[in-house]
Amino acid sequence: MIQDYISLAIGNLKHKRVRSLLTIIGIVIGIGAIIALISVSQGLENSIKEQFELFGKDRILIGPKGFQGPGTVSEGLTTKDVDTIENLGEFEYVTYFLSRTAEIERKNQVKFALATSYPAEDVEKAFGDIDIDVKSGRFFTKGEKFSAILGSRAASELFDEDVRVRNKIKIAGSSFEVIGILENIGNPQDDNIIIIPIEAAREIFNEPDKVEGIMAQVKPGVDIQETQSRIERALKRARDDENFQVLTPTQILEQINQVLGVVQVVLVGIAAISLVVGGIGIMNSMYTSVLERTKEIGIMKAIGAKNKDILLIFLIESGFLGIIGGFFGVLLGLGIGKLVGVIAFQSGFQFLKIEVNFSLIIFGLIFAFFVGMISGAIPAYQASKLKPVDALKYE
Amino acid sequence: MKKAIIKMKDLWKTYHMGETTLDALKEINLEIYQGEFFTILGHSGSGKSTMLNMVGSLDLPTKGKIFLDGIDISTLHESDLAQLRGKKIGLVFQSFNLIPSLTALENVSLPMIFQGQDKNTRDSKSKELLSLVGLSSRMTHKASQLSGGEKQRVAIARALSNNPEVILADEPTGNLDSKTGAEIMNIFEDLHKNHNRTIIMVTHDIGLVKGSDRSCYLSDGKIIKVSKNIKEIKEMVIKK
Repeated sequence: MIQDYISLAIGNLKHKRVRSLLTIIGIVIGIGAIIALISVSQGLENSIKEQFELFGKDRILIGPKGFQGPGTVSEGLTTKDVDTIENLGEFEYVTYFLSRTAEIERKNQVKFALATSYPAEDVEKAFGDIDIDVKSGRFFTKGEKFSAILGSRAASELFDEDVRVRNKIKIAGSSFEVIGILENIGNPQDDNIIIIPIEAAREIFNEPDKVEGIMAQVKPGVDIQETQSRIERALKRARDDENFQVLTPTQILEQINQVLGVVQVVLVGIAAISLVVGGIGIMNSMYTSVLERTKEIGIMKAIGAKNKDILLIFLIESGFLGIIGGFFGVLLGLGIGKLVGVIAFQSGFQFLKIEVNFSLIIFGLIFAFFVGMISGAIPAYQASKLKPVDALKYE
Repeated sequence: MKKAIIKMKDLWKTYHMGETTLDALKEINLEIYQGEFFTILGHSGSGKSTMLNMVGSLDLPTKGKIFLDGIDISTLHESDLAQLRGKKIGLVFQSFNLIPSLTALENVSLPMIFQGQDKNTRDSKSKELLSLVGLSSRMTHKASQLSGGEKQRVAIARALSNNPEVILADEPTGNLDSKTGAEIMNIFEDLHKNHNRTIIMVTHDIGLVKGSDRSCYLSDGKIIKVSKNIKEIKEMVIKK
């Protein structure tokens, strides 16, 4: 019986092909937008998590209040704070960095880029811990000064000509020899890095004791949260202020996920509006259909169709509009998601992986089906309540 | 004694249009027997179609009772009424009332779907009925592609699909030319004579009414005369 109604409904939809198609497009756009946004933001969330795992769970990051990562202008920390933390013991090592945007010059081509500096002897450890090696050349040796290590993108894309080991570049007017090129890390921020020893940075940027951030690598087995609060207490005592913050990777990840969550809710909310519009499209189409087929409804009732039968036929019809729209919407959404992944990959965000999420597909289809059914419910109910005599008279 | 398949008792149908009321049927008392070919004659507005709608359970009376095969249909709920209508009554309309997007075969099958018949039964029965009305070569044509006479044949086949007790025909030749009309009338006569069907027909095309057993003349919602003599009724129609 249901099978017969389904074939009746499909027949009706085919009969008014153009209108069915237009109605379906509304749903395709709505579902497509939602699926695309959810899969991209899920991919983003997973990738960020992956990046943080790469960064290492045993690191504590100390920065001035409002610290947002390398490159942001921030005030407050000095080498004295580094000493305070080092004196606590319990760390594999403590390192720190200072970065400045500077004029980078090679063969008369001048660019502005961020130069990040670490104590020369710490660079190999800091990158080695997150499994990043040089693909050519070497890391700094202790006491080395006017040498530079470039990220893979910085080497290949900053200047017209690729920068190689032993080439010379000028940073803020001083000449540096490139001694190493890092292997690919997977995101443009890290791959565009230009690393110089902090001793050189202090000289060329005229910053005798400033520190932008401190990274403390905790010894294995040491409680990271306990260490975190110990650092906080020590710094508060030594500095007599609270203009700093001590963060663990987990906390940073949580903060980012919070922001991402809000963005996701807003975006999906906007996409949901288009789905509502799509639903109204179905309702409109079904109303027109009921009106157009008033006489048909009368005929069907005259030859024995019960209210329930008419209701079912129309509900199946609108459900079909929904589910077909949902099917193509899911395809469109996944396609857009994949496209975003490809574009991101080409622009250097190689860590962003858009995956096909099956529960999301099922959700999309079921959701679209229900949008169709609900939108069709009122018109279908009206159709089922028509009186046979009145419906038959309708021209 | 013959079995009364339709029984109308003190039947009234009143329409309210704003402040005016119109009695479309007044105190109808009539019995129609099984196997009978019964014709309802009358001028337009006399209440013929209203009466047919009552018998066909498409509409319910304002007052009085109407029995279909012993069941008082005025007490039934809408769904039961639809079920009963689909099973016991076959309707043929002046304007054919086929579903244009469906084929001839599908149109004939439709009432059987609502009675829950399986596809094989439906298909074989529909083919059999379409052959009976002489349309075996047009089964897969869409209803919209058929001529008027062909449409009415499909409609008759559809009316027969659930093997109903009564076939109700409301001006079945009204939209057809006289030759096609006569052909359609022959089908009804054949159904009556050779297949022992009960047929109730409303018409004002008195020239075509030949094989009916009894006729009634309706005027202003009242039965003026019921007679076995069709000539007598025809004269009343012409005189008026």
